[in-house]
Amino acid sequence: MHFYLAPVRLLANPPCSSLCRRTGLRMFSVSHKTAFVVDHCPYMAESCRQLIECDMLTKSRSQGVIPLAPVSKSLWTCAIECSMEYCRILFDVYPTWKLVNYIVSDSEVHILNSWKQEDQNTHELMAALAAVGPPNPRQDPECCSVLHGLVAAVESLCKITEYQHESRTTLMDTADRVANRGRIICLTNAKSDTHVRMLEDCVLETIQEQNKRAAGSDRLMPIQQCELVLVHIYPQGEETLVSDRQKKELSSMLSSEVHSVRAGRYLASKLNVLVQQHFDLASTTITNIPMKEEQHANTSANYDVELLHHRDAHMEFIKSGDLHMAGSTSRDSGLKETVTLKWCTPRTNSVELHYCTGAYRISPVDVNSRPSSCLTNFLLNGRSVLLEQPRKSGSKVISHMLSSHGGEIFLHVLNSTRSTLEDPPSISEGCGGRVTDYRITDFGEFMRENRLTPFPDSMIDAAGRTPVERAKSQLERYTRYWPMIISQTTIFNMQAVVPLANLIVKDTLTDEDVLTCQKTVYNLVDMERKSDPLPISTVGSRGKGPKRDEQYRIMWNELETLVKAHVGTSERHQRVLECISACRSKPPEEEERKKRGRKREDKEDKTEKNGKDTEEKGWTTDSERLKGVMEREKDEQSECEIIKDSPDSPEPLNKKPRLATEEQQPPEKSKGPVSLLTLWTNRITQANSRKHQEFAGRLSSVNNKAELYQHLKEENGMDVHENGKATR
Amino acid sequence: MPTVVLLDSSLSMTRPVSVEGSEEFQRKNLAVHGMTMLFEHMATNYRLEFTSLVAFSSLWELLVPFSRDYNTLQEALNNLEDYDKTCLEAALQGVSNVVQQEWGTSCPCQVVLVTDGALGIGRGSLRHSLQTVKQRVDDKKFPLPFPFPSKLYVMCIANAEELQATDSMDNLEQLINLNGGEGQIYTMEGPLCLKSVQSMFGKLIDQAYSPFHAVLRCGNLTSDVQVFPRPEPVTIDEEVDPIPKTVQTDLEIVGFIEIGDISSPPVLSRHLVLPIAVSKEGDEIGTGATDDTEEETSTNQMAGKSPNFCVLLHGSLKVEGMVALVQLGPDWFGMLYSQADSKKKSNLMMSLFDPGSEPLPWLGRMSQLGPASDAAENPYGEDDSKSPFPIQPKHKRSYAQNVTVWIKASGLQTDVQKILRNAKKLPEKTQTFYKELNRLRKAALAFGFWELLKSVAELLERECTLLPDSAHPDAAFQLSHAAQQLKLASSGDSKYAAFEQNITPMLTDFSGGGGADRI
Repeated sequence: MHFYLAPVRLLANPPCSSLCRRTGLRMFSVSHKTAFVVDHCPYMAESCRQLIECDMLTKSRSQGVIPLAPVSKSLWTCAIECSMEYCRILFDVYPTWKLVNYIVSDSEVHILNSWKQEDQNTHELMAALAAVGPPNPRQDPECCSVLHGLVAAVESLCKITEYQHESRTTLMDTADRVANRGRIICLTNAKSDTHVRMLEDCVLETIQEQNKRAAGSDRLMPIQQCELVLVHIYPQGEETLVSDRQKKELSSMLSSEVHSVRAGRYLASKLNVLVQQHFDLASTTITNIPMKEEQHANTSANYDVELLHHRDAHMEFIKSGDLHMAGSTSRDSGLKETVTLKWCTPRTNSVELHYCTGAYRISPVDVNSRPSSCLTNFLLNGRSVLLEQPRKSGSKVISHMLSSHGGEIFLHVLNSTRSTLEDPPSISEGCGGRVTDYRITDFGEFMRENRLTPFPDSMIDAAGRTPVERAKSQLERYTRYWPMIISQTTIFNMQAVVPLANLIVKDTLTDEDVLTCQKTVYNLVDMERKSDPLPISTVGSRGKGPKRDEQYRIMWNELETLVKAHVGTSERHQRVLECISACRSKPPEEEERKKRGRKREDKEDKTEKNGKDTEEKGWTTDSERLKGVMEREKDEQSECEIIKDSPDSPEPLNKKPRLATEEQQPPEKSKGPVSLLTLWTNRITQANSRKHQEFAGRLSSVNNKAELYQHLKEENGMDVHENGKATR
Repeated sequence: MPTVVLLDSSLSMTRPVSVEGSEEFQRKNLAVHGMTMLFEHMATNYRLEFTSLVAFSSLWELLVPFSRDYNTLQEALNNLEDYDKTCLEAALQGVSNVVQQEWGTSCPCQVVLVTDGALGIGRGSLRHSLQTVKQRVDDKKFPLPFPFPSKLYVMCIANAEELQATDSMDNLEQLINLNGGEGQIYTMEGPLCLKSVQSMFGKLIDQAYSPFHAVLRCGNLTSDVQVFPRPEPVTIDEEVDPIPKTVQTDLEIVGFIEIGDISSPPVLSRHLVLPIAVSKEGDEIGTGATDDTEEETSTNQMAGKSPNFCVLLHGSLKVEGMVALVQLGPDWFGMLYSQADSKKKSNLMMSLFDPGSEPLPWLGRMSQLGPASDAAENPYGEDDSKSPFPIQPKHKRSYAQNVTVWIKASGLQTDVQKILRNAKKLPEKTQTFYKELNRLRKAALAFGFWELLKSVAELLERECTLLPDSAHPDAAFQLSHAAQQLKLASSGDSKYAAFEQNITPMLTDFSGGGGADRI
């Protein structure tokens, strides 16, 4: 298969793979773009005045050691770590489509990343933040302002994202359906309500200004809707100078809200609430997780772990009004509700297809806590956990499942209500349900051969087909001739045909493949010459079924049908058909062949040298046919290995026993009506003959009697031919 | 999609209809005639639909709970009684309860309201309900929109002119709007008679109960199938792409995947895929019916005996534990699999994924799935021991990498303690010591938390002074080296405070243990 790099790189992911389907979230809602603006002015270097003791070991130490002074984070550090936590949760739950642009503002603007998907991860942001460093308290406060950052945020919101660009390109005429909305989260320390109003006015003005500019550009889009979230951070123990304010529409494009929060853990829980509001998240607490303590390996304590995910995972609870019943107050924020689900220890690792109505990525609230990491590691190792919905009374209901796929953990919603599809008619009652000899195993093999695998985005083949199109065309080729039931086919019941049948369906054949196919054909010719029985179905026909030569005629016809279906694929496929046409027995041609045979008699010696030294009698008609083909092959491609190869091909299995049984049968019996027993036995023997190699004993038996311990005779130098094998 | 038939049994339904001819009809008779037609259609072409019958006047009554027994439903129609006035709100609340009790809130339902369009007077009338709809307290909310996805079909045993003469039509339209526009009002055309009621119910049947027939294809292997319940159109994003996507009638298998690889994917809906026999005239003859006429039974027996691809596919999917990926339309896929019910009966089932190019993140883009035989190396391994799925995302999630979060004081304290614990075990733990130290250093630099670096440096220096005499000499060197490096980093000097840079163990004469790891 030849691949080349396709010029277009398509963006990964649909807008919302099952993450927002039922809430009607729009692809380009306000949450598509989030611009963080963090104040880097000198006053942000101020301490948040919450002390953290990091010298914990002194307790167990000798008295003489003076403990180190506790440390305290600056307002800047608080702002950074809380915004990083916001991003961590966001990127966990929405690895695509929800983009963050991080801006730091002091006397100038530092834009730490872009809307590009590859820039969307916390590691990159942390590296960029390290380069910025904490605010410099000695910098002149007069030239520093968060305003620079807000202006940059508006400019940035006007910039088109990859997703917007791709959607606009695909929509063509209706490109105007792609909206441009966004949110600005500004973490700052404001001086007063008036200062806040000044910031809002500035954003509004900038939007109006930038929208005019954007109207005339391809890479820019005017902002249709912008949500400004101003978070005023002040140190512990100080009075706030800024009052909280609910969301207010400042214009048709801009709404604004103000949160006045103390730094430290208050800020953290505020941003945690905000990320849930902004991205429609909800909280689930997994309860009763049994974990072994390192110190007490024999006992296990139960832990709870709180997870965040899209709120649709709770849809059933919300609608049925069960939410309040199931919910309890979250330990962390004190503001939001969490739904409690009970851990059900998985019994087996069995692979089961659950009826799952949604799957939502999760993010642990407390990612580094021991219970959280125990749970996530358990899941990442490939185990799934069913979750039970606590009910006041009645039976236990499994409503969710936690499971990881490729290093991502999902909360699956399982259907727990009555199914409308219950008690359907069984497939055996419908069309084709009474047929019993479907080629189930063969089709299973076919399915394995047609399994799918992911190909890199840029891989399309020379014909410009995507992998999925290639998969379809492979299925088309593989099914050109595919009888569904055992009694409809002879060739697919024969081990001897397998190499050819596997190769002929391929898109391209190598010379070696052609050779293998030819060998298969020669092998069949050999079988026919020896009158080996074929697994021809006797279903529906009276008597023992067709005679041997008729059987072979059926077999050859079927083989030809198979190969003819592929003859147009390539010239090499054509050659396989030619080989069959040349080799197969066709009664009218018998005479002609004999004539040809006589002409070539002189060449026989040479062939025999190469051939096996068995059964000289066998080299009459069939070998002539073979040679005829070989001659032509030589003319075509001057490859003489064929001559060497054909006699080496594996000898067909079972040849004698069925012959013996048939000979036993009185001739009149075969012509007259057949007893049920005979019909049955024939059928069974035929079915069996396909399934296994015939016992060596039965193969060499006479009148169904095989002599045991022949090797002893051999060793004793006695005549082996006694048992009749060689005498035939 | 289960159906609730909500039948108006108020006195006004007994109003006679003037018809030329001998027999005199009531509106009720026309309604029953229409419903009989609907039930007969379902019994033959939509037999797996669960239907229940609710009658209402000022009260409501569940006459037949959800059932597939259309004889029982028909019988209930024959034994209807007449009651007092129309009080629709209570009845709709009743429907809402009946459905939620049986199916929960996620199963879509169809509600067929059959009424004469006289919607009551005074309190309890629809007019009154609608006027007060905005003044409700929480526990007395108007039942629409239903908490479950629904379609409300209003079958009026009246013609449009009649309804428009009063405000009935307006009220009914308002009702549909309250249900999010999901539904439709049908009125009778021309004089009220059996013919016009037939044509009205005929329209409903075409709209809501026409069976979905499709051809299931796997290359050249095909089968005619009925998909039940019929797949409904889906809209992904009303803003960008407001045109609903419909499942095409050519269901094309693209390949196969192991159940373990597809691993319980989320689905929009599930459907039975029932093979159907198509006779020469092109008419469909049932889906394995049990109580058809003799003639049909014999045809079905014939159909049962001729091989059908669905049965083969089902059998192999079941035996192999695989699913078939099937394309439902442009950029829309689903899966076929064998589903067994509690009674060990099994069936071919189709689940629809969300429309879109990548409905399952762990399979990647659907259009990039190709035949495994095209890959340079068999992605399943020669002995089936491997799998190309699931696809790993480019970036690890926070819980899969060792992220640093210091929002809670305990997080910071744990990280400092880890360093100190390892510091005590130097030089054996040199590598872990520096690993933890560097993790802390990175986070502190990113958070602009230089004070912490100074503090930890002091801690290490103190540790150094507290080393017992028995301590390895290398420990002291490493501790003071680490402390010095942290102090340098805390200065913010770009030479020492680079984020990607790591503090490496000091090379000492003693560092047989610690240094050896690096050599």
